[in-house]
Amino acid sequence: MFKKTSTAAAVAAATSLLLITGGCSATNAGKTEAAKPAPAAAAPAAAAAAPKAKSVDYTAMSPKALAEYLIFESGSYELDQPTQEGTTGRARLTQDEIQKACSLMKGEEVSDKAREKVMALAAASIKYPEGGIKLGDWKKGRELAWSGFGYRTAHNPDDHSSREAGGNCYNCHQLATDRTGGDIGPSLTGYGKNRGSSPDMLKYTYEVIYNPHVYFACTNMPRMGATGVLNQQQIADIMAYLFDPASPVNK
Amino acid sequence: MFKKALRALPIALAVAATAGPSMAEAPEDVLDALIKKTNNSPYLTQSPQNIMMMPDNPAWLVAEAGEILFKTPRGPKNASLEKCDFGKGPGVLEGAHAELPRYFADTGKVMDLDTRLVHCMKTLQGFTNDDPAIKKKHGSDSDIMKLQTYIGSKSSGVPWNPPMNHPLEKAMRDAGEVMFYRRSGTMDFSCATCHTQDGKRIRASVLPNVYVPEEWTKAISWPAHRTSHEHVRSSQHRVLECLWQMRYPNIKNGSDASIALISFWTDAARGQPAVVPDLKR
Repeated sequence: MFKKTSTAAAVAAATSLLLITGGCSATNAGKTEAAKPAPAAAAPAAAAAAPKAKSVDYTAMSPKALAEYLIFESGSYELDQPTQEGTTGRARLTQDEIQKACSLMKGEEVSDKAREKVMALAAASIKYPEGGIKLGDWKKGRELAWSGFGYRTAHNPDDHSSREAGGNCYNCHQLATDRTGGDIGPSLTGYGKNRGSSPDMLKYTYEVIYNPHVYFACTNMPRMGATGVLNQQQIADIMAYLFDPASPVNK
Repeated sequence: MFKKALRALPIALAVAATAGPSMAEAPEDVLDALIKKTNNSPYLTQSPQNIMMMPDNPAWLVAEAGEILFKTPRGPKNASLEKCDFGKGPGVLEGAHAELPRYFADTGKVMDLDTRLVHCMKTLQGFTNDDPAIKKKHGSDSDIMKLQTYIGSKSSGVPWNPPMNHPLEKAMRDAGEVMFYRRSGTMDFSCATCHTQDGKRIRASVLPNVYVPEEWTKAISWPAHRTSHEHVRSSQHRVLECLWQMRYPNIKNGSDASIALISFWTDAARGQPAVVPDLKR
């Protein structure tokens, strides 16, 4: 369940080798000022990080270079903070190819070349269930779709042993009409009723949940399958919530 | 002699009226004007209950406690904070928060209200990082939040105007802008994912749009009492909580990355009046 697929893990591992000296010495500097002590306790032994930061001229860097420096080398983040998937905060902050291509500033649009690359990376990331795409249990899917729990770290890490991580769907989508969902993404009310449940529609929906960039390059939507947040069974359950005629989504 | 004093009284009262908190405008009036200006922005108007409660904002009690702390000699050096320079000269609080973050020559750093306050508590009062007065960063019962709420309230109605004259101010703002749009983490989120569209909602909460300064000013107006937390919160706390939702690792209070983000987001509200203390969900 915690497997981090795609290139993210490899990139993160490589980067942590390269950068391991940068952030670590600075980690303790702000420790006493942190909101709550992180699980990885550190001895308050380092005022040593401050002079190091001062020797760097922020004004000589491009905004992009300074942003990367602030994130990875200024001691601003707890880069060694453990994550639920067994990596560290550093891996969470390290961008993979899709995240890089899709970090568009104001007025920027994805180039045709970048769009093709993002869609190809997305297509390559998708793994399909061995027995074909099937619908699971809509009641379980409802729980998952309405849960925002999981993978939060920072000052209050989610404990996955206490509760399963959810799909966060409701944050951005209106689902059934019995509860208020967000509207950053399109409304999915009546999803199965309006679209039917042909094999093509099931495949399309599975792919959009797994890695939506395959259809919508640089969409805001997370890659729930490709990042390992949802496994194939959980995706099947959420799809049942969307397609099952008995599901409140289709009432 | 008594007569003379009597004659001076009206003058003294008049002086007090102009030199006192006259610069700060009641937050509820500031908000009201913004709502009219935006033709009822869905973000600004989302909680009629909060708007109604603004004159009785629990943050005012926190600000009052902050005023006492500010003026009381404290710490190993037994000094008050009345000589603290927040950028407009020692002891000048009127409009100071609206011009932060800014570069301070005495530290060589760009500092926000939080970090500048801590700096003064250390240098003027002699507190250290381990003293509870500095260590406890969050909650209405913390010295830091009491003081920030008092100081911040002196900028209510004052247009945000963080200086960009020093190259470091510009560098931090620009790096903060890059970070605002930079996607990473488990869910591929950046700040821009939620804050670049009009009237969009996360669940039932309407999100502020960084491109609408009249709306954005309320979003960045901290300290604010959060009704869902029952505590007054700071800009630093907002950064922390957003990044938590975004699945990012812990960011350190007052870190350069946090200052860069706050520099960008304050610049995005430039020219619009601060609503401090605010009341938020």
